[in-house]
Amino acid sequence: MYEIRFHGRGGQGAVMAAQTIAEAAILEGKQAQAFPYFGAERRGAPVMAFARIDDERICIKTQVYEPDMLVIMDESLLDIEPVAAGLKKEGCAVINSRSAPGDLDLGLEVRCISVDATSVAIEMLKAPIVNTAILGAMVKANDFVRLESVQQAIINRFGEKLGEKAGRINAEAAKIAFDRSQEGVCRGKRPLIKKRLWLPTWQETPPGVALGKEERVGMKVGPGSMSQNLTGTWGTSNPLYDQDKCIRCQRCWFICPEGCIIRKEDDLMEFDLRYCKGCGMCVKVCPKGAITILKKGVKQ
Amino acid sequence: MERKMNIRTMPQVDHLLSGHGACAGCGMAVAVKNIMRILGENTTVYVPASCLLVCSGMYPHSAFDVPFFYSAFENTGAVISGIKAGYRRQGKDVTVIGIAGDGGTFDIGLQALAGAAERNEDVIYVCVDNEAYMNTGTQRSGSTPFGAWTTTTPVGKKIKGKRQFKKDLMAVITSQDVPYAATLSIAHMNDFVMKVEKAKNKKGFRFLHIMTPCTSGWKTDPSITYDLANLAVETGMWSLYEIEDGETRITYRPKEMTPVSEYLKLQGRFRHMGKEDIETLQAWICKKWKKRYCPTNPETERTEEELAYNGDHCEGV
Repeated sequence: MYEIRFHGRGGQGAVMAAQTIAEAAILEGKQAQAFPYFGAERRGAPVMAFARIDDERICIKTQVYEPDMLVIMDESLLDIEPVAAGLKKEGCAVINSRSAPGDLDLGLEVRCISVDATSVAIEMLKAPIVNTAILGAMVKANDFVRLESVQQAIINRFGEKLGEKAGRINAEAAKIAFDRSQEGVCRGKRPLIKKRLWLPTWQETPPGVALGKEERVGMKVGPGSMSQNLTGTWGTSNPLYDQDKCIRCQRCWFICPEGCIIRKEDDLMEFDLRYCKGCGMCVKVCPKGAITILKKGVKQ
Repeated sequence: MERKMNIRTMPQVDHLLSGHGACAGCGMAVAVKNIMRILGENTTVYVPASCLLVCSGMYPHSAFDVPFFYSAFENTGAVISGIKAGYRRQGKDVTVIGIAGDGGTFDIGLQALAGAAERNEDVIYVCVDNEAYMNTGTQRSGSTPFGAWTTTTPVGKKIKGKRQFKKDLMAVITSQDVPYAATLSIAHMNDFVMKVEKAKNKKGFRFLHIMTPCTSGWKTDPSITYDLANLAVETGMWSLYEIEDGETRITYRPKEMTPVSEYLKLQGRFRHMGKEDIETLQAWICKKWKKRYCPTNPETERTEEELAYNGDHCEGV
C-alpha cells in the first residue's frame, strides 16, 4: 500500500489534490481513497489531507501516520509543524519551494523533489492555488501514476467543478511543474517533535479559563486558552506601522479581528504580530496611510 | 448630559481572546470582539452551532474569558432566557448575551427567538449576519440576498443563484414591541459602539442585528471586509436604524444611493449575475430605500361610506 499525506494551508487545495491523485490511480486501474483531516480549518490555517493507493481493495480507514510520500504545499509549514514526523526512511517528500532539495531541511534525510509551484500557479492560473502544480511534481516522485492519467484526472475533476477551460489550464500547470521540478536529497538537521495523536481527555485538560482573575492580566490565560494558539503563522503578510503618521483615531484597533493591535497608554498602537493573520483590514481603515502591509520574508 | 461612548472612550479589555480560529479578515470576529469589550466581564455568552462556536470553542480550548455556554442550534432564545432566570434566582445581575448566526436566527432559531421576545426576557440577542450558513460551507439561508450563489442555490443554465429576496428580520422582531432593536455595521464604528452601549444599559429584550462580511463565503479578498460593510450601507443593501420603544430612528443616512453593481462586482458570489438580475435587485433596493429613508404619509383612512359600497352590495335606508 502506498500512503500519501498532504500538508497545506486552508485555501491551497490540499483536499482537491488528494482526491485528484486518487482519481488518477483509479484511472490506471488501481484502488484508491482520499479524505481530509476533520477539523475546523479556516482559510490560511495549516491543514492536512490523506490518500491511499493499492492494487487490492483498501480496508483501512484511519489517518495516515507513517506516509510513503509527504507533500508540503507551503514551505513555511516546516517551521510551525513537525510535518515530516512518521515519514518512512525509503519514502520521499515533495515540497513547494524555490530552493533546491539540498538546501531544504525537513528533519529526515530522504529523497526530495522541490518545485516552485507558487510561481507556476500564478503564471498559469493567476492565483496562488498550488494543488495542480504540486500534482505534476508528485508524478516525478513516484512511478505508479503516469502524467497523462494525472492530467486526465485534473480535467475530469476541475473541469466538472470550474468549467472545461479551467480544467485544461490546470492540467497544463501540472505538466510545467513536472518539467521544472528538481530531484535530490534533503538535509535532516531539524529536530522533529512527535505530535500527539489524540486530544487530551477532560481530566488532562488544564483549568485554563478557570484561573484566577489576577492571572488573566495581559491575556496570559495559560493552557486551555486560545491565547496559546499563535495564529500569526497563518498569514503570508504582516502590517508595518509608522508611528509618526498616526493620528490616534483608534480605527485600526477597532477593526482588527484578532485583537493583535494593542492600545498603549498614550493611545499610540503596538502590533502583536504573534497573532496577526495578515488580513490587511487595518491598512484599509487607516485614514492617514500610517500602516502598510508587507509580504513575509521580503526584505525592504 | 453625559457624553456617549465612542471608539476612543470604550473599554479596552478583550474578552474574546487573541488566537481564536476565525479566517483572516472575518467580519464576525470584529463584531463579537467589540461587543465583548463593551459588555465587559460581567457577562455570560451563549453561542449555538456557528462559526463563532467552532473558532472560539474547539475542545480543549476556549477563546472567551467569561462564562461561555453552548447547546443545540435552535435554542438560543430559550437558553439565554433560562440562564437569565438562573441568575435572577441566585440574585446576580449578569448581562446574558446570545450570539447566533443568520441561520440560527432567520431560519432555525426563529421560534425560540420569537418566544423570548414575546416574554420580554432581560437578555441581549445578537444576530451576526453573513448571509448564508457559512460554517457548513455556504448553504442558502433566509438572509441570503437575491442572485447570490450558494451550494444549495447553484448557478445553472436557467436559474442563476437564489431567486428570493432577503427576509426583513427586523420587521419580524420589532412587530413584538421589544424595548430595543438596532441594526449595526462594522464600518460605522461610533454608531456601533453607541448602539451596543445603549443595549447594555437597557432592560428587557434587546436585539442587535449586525452585517458581517464573510471572506470565504462571499469569495472576497480578506482586506476588503471593511469596504464591503461600508458599501452595503451606501448601496442600500443594509441600512442603519434603531427602534426604541416603537420609535424608529435612522442613525445614518447615506448622501446618495451608490449603484448596487459597485457592491456586487467585488464579490465572487455575485459574479454570474446578468444585467436583468442586477436590475431586479436594484429595483428591490430602490423600493426598500424609499420606504426606509423617505417615508410618505400613511394613506388616509377610508370613510365608512366608501367601505360599505366597496364591500358587499348595500342599500341605503
